[in-house]
Amino acid sequence: MIAMKTLYLLVPLAPLAGALAAGLFGRAIGRRGAHTVTILGVLIAFLASCAILVDVLHGNSFNGAVYTWATSGETRFEIGFLIDRLSALMIVVVSFVSLMVHVYTIGYMADDPGYQRFFSYIALFTFSMLMLVMANNFLQLFFGWEAVGLVSYLLIGFWYTRPSATYANLKAFIVNRVGDFGFLLGIALVLAHFGTLDYAGVFSQAPGQAGATLELLPGSHWLLLTVICLCLFVGAMGKSAQFPLHVWLPDSMEGPTPISALIHAATMVTAGIFMVARMSPLYELSQTALSVVMVVGAITALFMALIAVTQFDIKRVIAYSTLSQLGYMTVALGASAYAAGIFHLMTHAFFKAVLFLGAGSVIIALHHEQDMRRMGGLRKYMPVTYATVLVGALANAGLPPFAGFFSKDAILEAVHASQLPGAGFAYLALLAAVFVGGVYTFRLVFYAFHGETRVDPHVLEHLRESPWVVTLPLVLLAIPSLASGWWLGKVVFGNYFGSSIEVLPVHAGIAELAAEYHGLWSFMLHGLAGLPFWLALAGAALAWYLYTVRTDLPKRIAVAFGPLYALVEGKYGFDELYSWLFAGGARVLGKGLWRGGDQTVIDGVVVNGSARVVGWVASVVRLFQSGLIYQYAVSMLVGVVLLTYWFLRS
Amino acid sequence: MIVETAVFYLFAAVMLIAGLRVITARNPVHAALFLVLAFFTASAIWLLLEAEFLAIALVLVYVGAVMVLFLFVVMMLDINLERLREGFWRNLPLALVVGAIMAAEIVAVIAERYFEVASQAPPLPAGYSNTRALGMLLYTDYAYAFEIAAVILLVAIVAAIALTLRRRKDTKYQSPAQQVRVRPAERVRLVSMPAEKDR
Amino acid sequence: MTDSMLSGSFAPVLPEIFLLAAACVLLIADLFVKSERRTASYVLAQLILLGCALLTALVSTYSLRRPVYAFGGLFVGDQMANLLKLMAYLATAMALAYSREYLLDRKLLKGEFLALLLFALLGIMVLVSANSFITLYLGLELLSLCLYALVALNRDSAASTEAAMKYFVLGALASGLLLYGMSMIYGATGTLTISEVAQHVAKLSGNAAQRPFLVFGLVFLMAGIAFKLGLVPFHMWIPDVYQGAPTAVTLVIGSAPKLAAFAMAMRLLVNGLLELAVDWQQMLVILAVLSMALGNLAAIAQVNLKRMLAYSTIAHMGFMLLGLLSGVVGGNWRNAADAYAAAMYYTIVYVLMALGAFGVLLLLSRAGFECETLEDMKGLNRRSPWYAFVMLVLMFSLAGIPPTAGFYAKLAVLSAAVSAGQVWLAVLAVILALVGAFYYLRVVKLMYFDEPADTTPIAGSGEMRLVLSANGLALLVLGIVPQPLMALCFAAIKAL
Repeated sequence: MIAMKTLYLLVPLAPLAGALAAGLFGRAIGRRGAHTVTILGVLIAFLASCAILVDVLHGNSFNGAVYTWATSGETRFEIGFLIDRLSALMIVVVSFVSLMVHVYTIGYMADDPGYQRFFSYIALFTFSMLMLVMANNFLQLFFGWEAVGLVSYLLIGFWYTRPSATYANLKAFIVNRVGDFGFLLGIALVLAHFGTLDYAGVFSQAPGQAGATLELLPGSHWLLLTVICLCLFVGAMGKSAQFPLHVWLPDSMEGPTPISALIHAATMVTAGIFMVARMSPLYELSQTALSVVMVVGAITALFMALIAVTQFDIKRVIAYSTLSQLGYMTVALGASAYAAGIFHLMTHAFFKAVLFLGAGSVIIALHHEQDMRRMGGLRKYMPVTYATVLVGALANAGLPPFAGFFSKDAILEAVHASQLPGAGFAYLALLAAVFVGGVYTFRLVFYAFHGETRVDPHVLEHLRESPWVVTLPLVLLAIPSLASGWWLGKVVFGNYFGSSIEVLPVHAGIAELAAEYHGLWSFMLHGLAGLPFWLALAGAALAWYLYTVRTDLPKRIAVAFGPLYALVEGKYGFDELYSWLFAGGARVLGKGLWRGGDQTVIDGVVVNGSARVVGWVASVVRLFQSGLIYQYAVSMLVGVVLLTYWFLRS
Repeated sequence: MIVETAVFYLFAAVMLIAGLRVITARNPVHAALFLVLAFFTASAIWLLLEAEFLAIALVLVYVGAVMVLFLFVVMMLDINLERLREGFWRNLPLALVVGAIMAAEIVAVIAERYFEVASQAPPLPAGYSNTRALGMLLYTDYAYAFEIAAVILLVAIVAAIALTLRRRKDTKYQSPAQQVRVRPAERVRLVSMPAEKDR
Repeated sequence: MTDSMLSGSFAPVLPEIFLLAAACVLLIADLFVKSERRTASYVLAQLILLGCALLTALVSTYSLRRPVYAFGGLFVGDQMANLLKLMAYLATAMALAYSREYLLDRKLLKGEFLALLLFALLGIMVLVSANSFITLYLGLELLSLCLYALVALNRDSAASTEAAMKYFVLGALASGLLLYGMSMIYGATGTLTISEVAQHVAKLSGNAAQRPFLVFGLVFLMAGIAFKLGLVPFHMWIPDVYQGAPTAVTLVIGSAPKLAAFAMAMRLLVNGLLELAVDWQQMLVILAVLSMALGNLAAIAQVNLKRMLAYSTIAHMGFMLLGLLSGVVGGNWRNAADAYAAAMYYTIVYVLMALGAFGVLLLLSRAGFECETLEDMKGLNRRSPWYAFVMLVLMFSLAGIPPTAGFYAKLAVLSAAVSAGQVWLAVLAVILALVGAFYYLRVVKLMYFDEPADTTPIAGSGEMRLVLSANGLALLVLGIVPQPLMALCFAAIKAL
């Protein structure tokens, strides 16, 4: 037990040690030193995570405090770990992808002056993410939640001299604040009504609170759990970039590509998904919340996929694809198919990391060119990158036997089986998204790697495959992008998660599907006959037709559907709306507060008033602090007299 | 009984008046002498209580040593007490008010029970020695406290020396040890010089 | 009396015996030290402190589970005493390290200084382990006498001499008040031993005729305690003495003796008069409110840093009282261990902060220059970013800004007050602490945003720099990982 506890501690602390070493002594240990310590730290974390996963698979689990930070009355604020099948799987995924990204970064950031700082940040991020995942209480969850947000902010603005980068990181931070506000409100409600912040305590009380209501406005009663779940989900919407808080994610592509892969595709943005799955005992008790989750996810999945088709920046295409995939996961959560959602989270972490890192490989090879209109025909020059990106694309589009096919199909089946309000809409939206997904994924592949090359001839002369530190992680990530889907039977239908995820019998769509599940082959054959597969294939075929055969057609289509195309390309105008409504509103509000609050209240009353109070007190004190012993003695005796009087009066 | 009480009140009255004069006398020598008087009367009261050892110790230590030393100091230093006392008269009204209230409060608490005459203390057994009893207590039960009191005295000595001892640089003094230990070689140096030639 | 109380073993008193003997040895050995730098004496003093620490650690194994008594109950060795003693050694050793260069520059580092410091420490130890009014009083006097002498040590300075005089006279008055209170309690209970006082008080406190008498004695005891802690209106000596004394001595006065004052309050109020908690808690409320208000508001108006820190002491001790006064709620002692442990933690952390703050002043002072006004802090960041950072941590901690130890200490004390139902008091304390943050942050502003007025490079011996850095970091670490120390405090209080 002690040994396991040490292992648990090792998982987050090893990357933290690396981050501190690289961050504080970066100049002393140099570039090589910085990447060695951080990679070593993450490697240790990865190996420990694997050991923990093996241990958990043997049926062990752990839930306990490692350290008590403060005790306030009956409430204890602790650092504790909850190690079960869910968190064990997550820490393996997180530490593996993080390890790959660390190695990749050696090549990608080779010429950057902020090399050590970057390694320190990503190691710190790994620490924060692991703390978030391993938390056994809301306080620590919130700590990890904010910490990953902070590191994300730092990394998006990594090239802080670029105005667009600082704008993007501010945007990400502020939009996340909106989500965090809801999240914090949810945690506060939990503390107020359950009296504890421990998961175990909250979950055990949850069924008892199922009927409790809350009067939000006079006369309108809400189910307590619905309000809590919705508040928490607002947090998840911020972090996992769900509609309408999705606007920050595409802009976050201003950061270096490795972090786009690590933070904005594989790990951090999935924190919201993980959190909802973790809270399944609460969500299960609120149908309303589940419906909202499903509908929001479906909207995100479809409409973000549409935007991806109109983008030309290679990273933005992948970013919108990420949004769409996150939408799938959210829908799975809404359909109570938590296992499928987490399974998709895992497969997506691998194949999206491949796509991002592959795109990054292309970007550095072309000297920081991100526009697909100046790529094309790269297949010949960068065969390894091409092959791995192709694997990622096939998985992303959901074609068998790649990982994405299994996880996505499981979600579709689960939604199909769901009886909740909104499930029908969600199913249709997802089907449409599958088709669009085929289009945008292969649009990227054909645009960038096939056809005539549109690369600048000067660049083309030096164009060659990236070094091994870049291609090795690509290959290592491409393998699970292909193969990780094959665990479908075990993870989703095999009741892998056991008690760590709770599903009420009413919502047991997955269990029904599991009964019909007869092995990987039959699932695949069944899928080949199903609508989603043909839709994805049709999308891919359309992309092939439009971007290699009739390359003139896309433009004509865009012209033909002018206003509609402009709407989608303009991302439905959310950015403009927000900057008008919130930024403009904030300015008006700020002006009012400045006039009324600052000048009158703060300057007039608080600042000048308190200065007057201090001046008055000081003059009184000076009067008594005369330096004369007699007066001091008298003051002491007066004190005694008054105290005596006070107590003898009664 | 009556006589004892009368003597007690006499001594007590003298002691109070002496104490009052200590702080009001204008001449510092007078003040010191009044303090001596107060100590004497206090020791007399102790004698009444059959605390002979304490009474004698008080006279010996305070009157015999401390106060004489104090008188020396007062006489040798030309202290202008009037200047020191300016504040005294100025603050007297306030001090009187505070003191009066305090006294009133004390009376209010203690009066009802403690101003009654207590019952007679039981007579002491024959052969009882006050000094011996004190010694027994001091060196057994209160040995720890006694030791600490000794340390306090030590600290007082150290502090007094540290604060007052001045080594003047221009003082000349002989060192007998050095004088005794001196050797001829240190005093007489034989120098061989070439003889001057006649010119 | 229990058996262990009667046993004549000297073992629990070993550290005190050792310190006394060793201090005498130091006093004599110093006569033979020729060098102006007095390295040998200094090292010897540090070794003595180390020896004391080892002995206390050894002795504490006796008293792990229950208190041990010695000398017929005059002395008690319990967890609280051991922890506070260890902290006092640490504080004294740090004070020595900080003040060495300063004293050398001013030709004040003499054997007497070291001896007086060690005797003062002995006084603290006696006080901390007192189980009788007599030992408590003697310990207090031993400590005070050493401090009076230390303040006056720079006898050519009129300010020092005047400060010593004031301290002495007022201290004598406070001792008088304390003794008067003790005699009252003795009169009512007929015993001087604190643990027996507690038993008698438990019997007497229900008696309507006796109770006013006890409370009356309590008022005078409280006056003595309040003087030692420096609570309004018994605080008048603090600003003058802090400013008048040489900075090295101010450092000594502002650190370890606070532990002794806390122990004194615990011994008298909690060990002896817990039955009267209803009364003394109310007294503490009054003292706490006055101290926090006056301390914080008056500190803002100060230009002299030493004086500012003096008022800050007053405010902090007032804040610490929030813990002491919330132990007993309506006759229920459930909250007591938490609350007193919080107060103890607060005191220990405060001592570390005071050491660090005065340590920085000592670091910036040099021969012929006293760093003591706000002006002297200007632009410290330009002169030495690291010490500016250390000072920043210290100021943040004093102001109670997370993640420093000062924040956690305030949090613990406040949460104790809130659990005791003293919500309005806690709110008031927070408001006054916010007011207080102003003058701490002003120092930070001066360090980081103003141009340095004086660009002399920062000297200071190696060990001083090391200890000062460790001091600053310790406050950071204790803020992030407060639990071990808190657990020690809690265990110490539990074992009372």
